[in-house]
Amino acid sequence: MSNQANTDAATLPPLANRPLNIGSSMNDDASRLDALAKVTGAAKYGRDVHPANALYIAFVRCPFGAATLESCDVDAARAVPGVVEADVSKRQGNYHGATVGHVAADSPLSLRRGMAALACRWKRKGDVVTTIEQGIEAEPELPVDAKAMIEQAGDRTLDATYSTEVQTHSSLETHGACVDHKGDSAVVYVSTQGTSSARDGLDEALGLPASKFEVVCEYVGGGFGSKLNGAGKEGMLAARIAAKHKRSAYLFVNRAEEHLDTGNRPSSRTRVRVAFEADGTIKGGHIQTWGGVGPNRGGGGVNVPSGRYRLGQITTAHADISLNGGMPRAFRAPGHPQGAFAEELMLDEVAARCGLDPLALRLRLIKADAIREMAELGARLIGWDKRLVNGAQAGPIRRGMGMGVTSWGRFPSSVDAEVVVNRDGSVEARTGTQDIGTGQRTVVGIVTADAMGVPLEAVTVRIGRSTLPPGPGSGGSVTTVNSAPAFMEAGKAAATQVLELVAGRTGAPVNELTIAGGEVRRNGAKVMAWKDACALIPDTIIGKGRNTQKTVAADKTTGTSGGAQFVDLDVDVETGVVKVHRIVAVQACGRVVSRKLAESQVIGGVIQGLSYALFEHRLLDRQTGAMVNPNLEWYKIAGPKDMPLIEPVLWSKDKEAAGPRPLGEPPTIPTAGAIACAIYNAIGVPVRSLPITPDKVLAAMAGKGGAK
Amino acid sequence: MQSLGVSAAAASVAANAEATAKSGRAGGSDGDAPSVMGPNPIDLTLTVNGVKHAMKVEPCTTLLEALRLHAGLTGTKEICDRGSCGGCSVLIDGVLAVSCLMLAIDCAGASITTVEGLAKADGTLHPLQEAFIRHDALQCGYCTPGFLVAGAWLMASTPKPTLPQIQQAMAGNICRCGTYTNIFNAVLEATGQRPLIDGTIA
Repeated sequence: MSNQANTDAATLPPLANRPLNIGSSMNDDASRLDALAKVTGAAKYGRDVHPANALYIAFVRCPFGAATLESCDVDAARAVPGVVEADVSKRQGNYHGATVGHVAADSPLSLRRGMAALACRWKRKGDVVTTIEQGIEAEPELPVDAKAMIEQAGDRTLDATYSTEVQTHSSLETHGACVDHKGDSAVVYVSTQGTSSARDGLDEALGLPASKFEVVCEYVGGGFGSKLNGAGKEGMLAARIAAKHKRSAYLFVNRAEEHLDTGNRPSSRTRVRVAFEADGTIKGGHIQTWGGVGPNRGGGGVNVPSGRYRLGQITTAHADISLNGGMPRAFRAPGHPQGAFAEELMLDEVAARCGLDPLALRLRLIKADAIREMAELGARLIGWDKRLVNGAQAGPIRRGMGMGVTSWGRFPSSVDAEVVVNRDGSVEARTGTQDIGTGQRTVVGIVTADAMGVPLEAVTVRIGRSTLPPGPGSGGSVTTVNSAPAFMEAGKAAATQVLELVAGRTGAPVNELTIAGGEVRRNGAKVMAWKDACALIPDTIIGKGRNTQKTVAADKTTGTSGGAQFVDLDVDVETGVVKVHRIVAVQACGRVVSRKLAESQVIGGVIQGLSYALFEHRLLDRQTGAMVNPNLEWYKIAGPKDMPLIEPVLWSKDKEAAGPRPLGEPPTIPTAGAIACAIYNAIGVPVRSLPITPDKVLAAMAGKGGAK
Repeated sequence: MQSLGVSAAAASVAANAEATAKSGRAGGSDGDAPSVMGPNPIDLTLTVNGVKHAMKVEPCTTLLEALRLHAGLTGTKEICDRGSCGGCSVLIDGVLAVSCLMLAIDCAGASITTVEGLAKADGTLHPLQEAFIRHDALQCGYCTPGFLVAGAWLMASTPKPTLPQIQQAMAGNICRCGTYTNIFNAVLEATGQRPLIDGTIA
């Protein structure tokens, strides 16, 4: 168990093909505990549960941005063989995908026929708002102080507007629930990021007390923030229909519905007006942001300025613009990637205007020493010294490099942990959290094994059930940060109880006993085999650990996670196609619990950022407000052929970081901005609008302001 | 066999449909009067992972629905339901296909392999499954069956695939968590090659 600082820039050999992060974590080698179930197809996700005699349910939805339901043949739907219920209660929809009713039938095929028999006739209502620009009545005036500062700065000002499009979470397992109804009890399988909280409200919908049903969520096919709202309207409707018909009920939305009505990262527009000095120092200015949200306002915040750079005296203002589109929900670092895109590209533009290297400028402006060190390391690893000045290249293929930084705060969350030791020596670690792909199941196991001194193989992790002690929801990068201390405490408490039994039997002082190598030892010498020690247990031992918001807030071993990413790419200026070759992601996360899982989190964050930067775009029809690409064919997500070489570097140099720090969200924050900067470097003009598709590259190069 | 991607998976579906049409399984060839099926459910037996599954399905049932709902094999996932994501990939007589774009009745008589059939009957994992575990080539795991089937199909024809060949063979598969890098490493290692970044401990 080592925690060496292995990221000292002075001693680093070249990165490629070397195990850079080995030796840095609590457990370097462990594979995830549920990997076998996942590679054999044995893992049962909620969507895989098909109770016999279940009803299948679908929502009836508005097909336009704003429309009135003129007619709908509910009787015809009810007459379809197998349909048990058809109900359309609303007449208005103000976004594509808004729910107005539902149909339930005894098979998926009957359900499809029942839905078709409704023959809904919709009439569109007037104009729809599909872009932020449409919703802005007038560009706002500068506040007085910012105006004076900018007027005084003369030419040394930047006035630029950056925009991003809506990104849908596109969880591969869609939102939904399956209620396995058992008469006077039920098991509710939900695809959720909050197993413990998903119970809320289901009691009423099921007509059962909370003691009579269990929420089960062993596996989740992706969440990314959109599955934080308990059982969701999908689970609630399934529960109500199950209760009404006293039958099992299954409602998982289809791919189109997943795009339309399960949340998204809202679009953004950021107008930056700043004054700077000849050496690149930012004096300040004003940043106005807009968020393109659903029909109801809220959730459109853009995190800029991020606070990671010294930007002088900046004033800000924000407005949400209501669009006739699906509502936003938290999406991996809400508000951050869009803000970081604007901030990083703005810095590159200021650097270019001052004739400065953008890395040199950033090293001066970065506030946190650790992030500055990470930036220096990343620059070395990517080979920043080979970067040419912006627009210095000729020929069809032009190379570019860019960078961005990240940080993420620590959010306290309550966790109840239990570690059970059985008489046969087996150990169970229990909490009602869930593993949405982050590896939380494995993290709990590794921490428990480490706290007790037993091998990981001895530990069985039980999560994903509402009947377990309450565990954290998977949001805000809190699960590892908050459950690790709780399981440390619980594991140690359980181990101590075993050691007290051994002490009682052998007369050895309990404080001299340790557990290691499958035995109880005193001063390194074997006292008793672990199995024999556990045989002394009268019944079972339960060690408890509790993390409250208060204890986490007071914990000085955890805190903010910083990071820096570097991108090396080519732009084909004849076609506008961008090919990313390498991304180096230096990321701090305090004490690393599992090297493999931590690397995966970083790689995954980078890939989602790349996909956001180059491809993802929810496209609403300007006339009808209908989403024209609610599928995985035309809503493009980065695929295997779009992949660069991604090199995650886990920063373990921070000596104070004895505990784990947040990791899920920060690696996806800087990637899009770093890619935009690298494209600017390659072609010499900034493309100020995500996704940076080939048409925007070509327009920018033709001087048509692909920028807007 | 060439490396095939998304269009290739679709093409292999088309080729397979043609083959089944020629063999007469889909009804109507060689001048015979086309046999009429449906609309009521018909008896169908599918051979999946060497096991025969008898079922009664409507002729419009896709192979994906038949596997998940009628054979109880839920390892094969429905993700996009239109041949864009590779999540429902299976092998039909050894050829990669997306099961959401195939009718179950067209697969009568064929040998179908799903993710559940990649390991041997005694539980010995396919080398690619082992490599996926070791390289953490999965996060939420929902796309994993499709990638494994595509990878196993590639390995069956190409003993030492290059990185571009791996990317091409998997071009029809989408992962949302972002595990591609580890997937490539897993395929490289399973075919006795050096991973891109060697993060494993011997």
